Amino acid sequence: MSTEKSDATETLEALHTNEWEAEMRALLEDGDADADLGMAMAKDAQRLVAGELTEAEFAKRYHDAVLEEFDVDDQELPAALASIEDGDGLDDAALADRLAALEDGDMDRREVMKKMGAAGMFLGLGTWATTENADGPSPPASTAGEDEDGTQYGMVIDLEKCDGCLACVVACSQENDTSMGANWMYVFTYEDDHQDGENFLVRTCQHCTDAPCEKVCPTTARHTRTEDGLVLTDYDVCIGCRYCQVACPYGVNYFQWGEPDTPQAELDPDHVYDGRDRRVDSRPPKGVMGKCTMCPSRQDGKMGEDKVGSTACADACTMDAIHFGDMNDEGSDPNEYLERVRSENPNDREHFPNRPADTVNTFRLLEELGTDPNVVFVGNEPGPNATQVDGPVAYEDIGEVDRRKEVLDDGTFAGGVSP
Amino acid sequence: MSTKTPSSADILRPLQNTSKRFYLVFAVAALAFGLFLAGWVYQLQHGLIVTGLADWGSGGGVTWGLYIGAFIWWVGIAHGGIILSAAVRLLKMDRYMPVARLAELLTIAGLSAAGFYIIVHMGRPDRMVTSILGNYHVTVHNSPLVWDVTVITLYFVMTATYLLLTLRYDVTRLREGLPNRFEPLYKLLTLGYTEKEDEVVERMVWWLALAIIIMAPLLLHGGVIPWLFALIPTMPGWFGAIQGPQFLTIALTSAISGVIILSFGFRKAYDWDHIITDDIFRGLTLWLGFFAMLFLWLQLQQLVSGGFAAPIDQSVTFDSKVTHPAYVIPMGMVGLTLAYIFAQTVRPSLFTKARAIIAAVAVLIATLVEKVYFVVAGLMYPTFGLYEATPGAYFPSLIEISSVVGTIGMVTLFFLLVAKVIPVVELHAIEHLNETREGEHDGERGGGDSEPLTETATEPEVTA
Ligand code: SF4
Ligand code: SF4
Ligand code: SF4
Repeated sequence: MSTEKSDATETLEALHTNEWEAEMRALLEDGDADADLGMAMAKDAQRLVAGELTEAEFAKRYHDAVLEEFDVDDQELPAALASIEDGDGLDDAALADRLAALEDGDMDRREVMKKMGAAGMFLGLGTWATTENADGPSPPASTAGEDEDGTQYGMVIDLEKCDGCLACVVACSQENDTSMGANWMYVFTYEDDHQDGENFLVRTCQHCTDAPCEKVCPTTARHTRTEDGLVLTDYDVCIGCRYCQVACPYGVNYFQWGEPDTPQAELDPDHVYDGRDRRVDSRPPKGVMGKCTMCPSRQDGKMGEDKVGSTACADACTMDAIHFGDMNDEGSDPNEYLERVRSENPNDREHFPNRPADTVNTFRLLEELGTDPNVVFVGNEPGPNATQVDGPVAYEDIGEVDRRKEVLDDGTFAGGVSP
Repeated sequence: MSTKTPSSADILRPLQNTSKRFYLVFAVAALAFGLFLAGWVYQLQHGLIVTGLADWGSGGGVTWGLYIGAFIWWVGIAHGGIILSAAVRLLKMDRYMPVARLAELLTIAGLSAAGFYIIVHMGRPDRMVTSILGNYHVTVHNSPLVWDVTVITLYFVMTATYLLLTLRYDVTRLREGLPNRFEPLYKLLTLGYTEKEDEVVERMVWWLALAIIIMAPLLLHGGVIPWLFALIPTMPGWFGAIQGPQFLTIALTSAISGVIILSFGFRKAYDWDHIITDDIFRGLTLWLGFFAMLFLWLQLQQLVSGGFAAPIDQSVTFDSKVTHPAYVIPMGMVGLTLAYIFAQTVRPSLFTKARAIIAAVAVLIATLVEKVYFVVAGLMYPTFGLYEATPGAYFPSLIEISSVVGTIGMVTLFFLLVAKVIPVVELHAIEHLNETREGEHDGERGGGDSEPLTETATEPEVTA
């Protein structure tokens, strides 16, 4: 890549407009990455395109900085960088293909950047790829496979199957040793104006893709695991400000107000630290926030290979209502289940060809809030006037507590009793 | 108005004499603060379970309560203090010059109390530094709580700078009368002072005042503090654009009340009726009335929009407001205060200092209760109200209640101690008072220009 200096300047000017910079910066600042690092990289990447910088220089300049900034993502990055570093005989077209594939059509650009870890690198190389291919055949931009989306764990919960037995509630509290009343799994029985009889809503954390709890956290303790989209709390970082609990629309957070019912010594260390060795699983220690985790130590194989892809609550459900898995994978348990339910309930299209293919109703809870939740429910959504009623099984019947304040009031120092 | 002539000996009095009453107040304040510290140690041992707080949702409680309400209250007091002092410097409201430094000190003390509340409120305060500062570069983009911490720190630094700059003038000139045991401190304060800098300092202070006046409504009590709540769309009691202005009016009412009480205390303790004159109290009370009116007006806006054809979640919030004593009583108290101040403008003879103090205390109590209600009600009536346990229940525990008494004690201690180290009334104020005495009404008229409209009614009183 040895171009004339003047050519380089021209190319740079063409690439580097003010809008470009503003847009890049906005994108970068949206992500978690260090915006300055990203900008510097993107600019240098342009220099690279213009021929002012060699690939080796570029790679050297940023390799360490990138690893440091994105220590979590050091699986994908080195690979990407390495392919530039041993650059002799670098197959530009292949690299461009790969990058362009990442930039594929509707796929959320921010999502890509998150996954790549190095936002700036992506943007910069994206520019490179575009220029490189300007006069070549256009890259097969829209052929990226489904699995390019990465894993996003979530659930399909069939509310029509649920019978309100609360087995999942018990299973979760036993699995995670949560304190009395911290019902990470919670099952509502409710009545609604336009629905007959008993209805259920099985409520975990929704592991939102745009999680408000994560946004407001002043410490990054509440975070999304890049590898599988689980929203977790780092028990070693959380300062217990409870802003996540305030901002979560669903009320799924349970703070550890006092000493946990189960002492630290009795917890299985393999169930406390996830595959990244961060303390995010099991009940939180005193003064720290907890909520449904979707069982990351299971997913990371720390509880044994047979438990990968399962959760305690789903295992416990004898009605086959809870289905956990990768929502982006067509073949995962939740998606297959949904497919099956749909095919079992076909619509009468012979007589009414305009009807949808099936009669299955699905919804995501409070989807209108823009949290992009990753739990899909089969069944009816509770309306705004729905009211919770006593279920077939009471929390107290199975050794749990429904209203946690009753337990917490015992620890309140004078006053504070529910009026 | 008294016939005594204000002199620098007057403002040095607190530094030279210590009365029995001083020790008594000191002991009471220290006891109040100490009791709360003991309560806090207990809380650190046992966890936040000692409070009346609990999880909202199935838990049937609220997760933020009096600690956060009192935090807002103190920031409000602090914030208004600096606005008042900045107004004196910027708008040349010279009449309030004698209380300007008190207001600045109130800002420092109020911000400290607020900062203390942030720490007390946390489950793991020991991680403050590592967790917040360590991730600051990431979280500052998203978290309103981080914005808060940033702006409060910024404000603290600005106010302290402001105070230190203006102190250099005084300390140099009054050095003779200042207690020798703080000699090193005074040396440090006046390091490199020359008379030539006075003009420069005055200009710097003016710009700082301007920055503060601009920043306050944009960033502090009209900004990041209300945004902590106003940006949460799923708590209808909080969400919405009105919280900024609403918080600002609350801040100003409570801050002026704070300054009234503070000025009264100092005046009584040190016979400063010729320095902090009745006229100042009268003016401050009028300002209090003006901001109380704005306060009620904005509350009314919320009631009307929540009560007419509001969506379900907002009408639930509305129903709670109009029936809950923690909302209705504070509104009544502010309303009565406003009524008194109106009456006083029409019939100036209704004004007495005691009544001004009662009005100030009433407003302070009302704003505190309203603020706690605001925080709690937001969490009690979430948009997702399917939980049978919502609205949750909350009543502050003894430790939480003692935190209010404790921080008031803390702020009192601060003033008692500061008054022994630096003059709490500016030398400029004394110089100015003496000038106006010679020039009769000139100065006073100048000050009246920027008063609220109601001021015209009392114009004849000003010189009384
Ligand atoms: S459900 Fe609540 S806690 Fe869970 S990810 Fe969404 S906002 Fe966060
Ligand atoms: S309680 Fe912990 S996880 Fe939640 S917002 Fe505060 S620091 Fe973050
Ligand atoms: S996924 Fe795991 S943590 Fe979440 S409710 Fe089920 S068992 Fe509990």
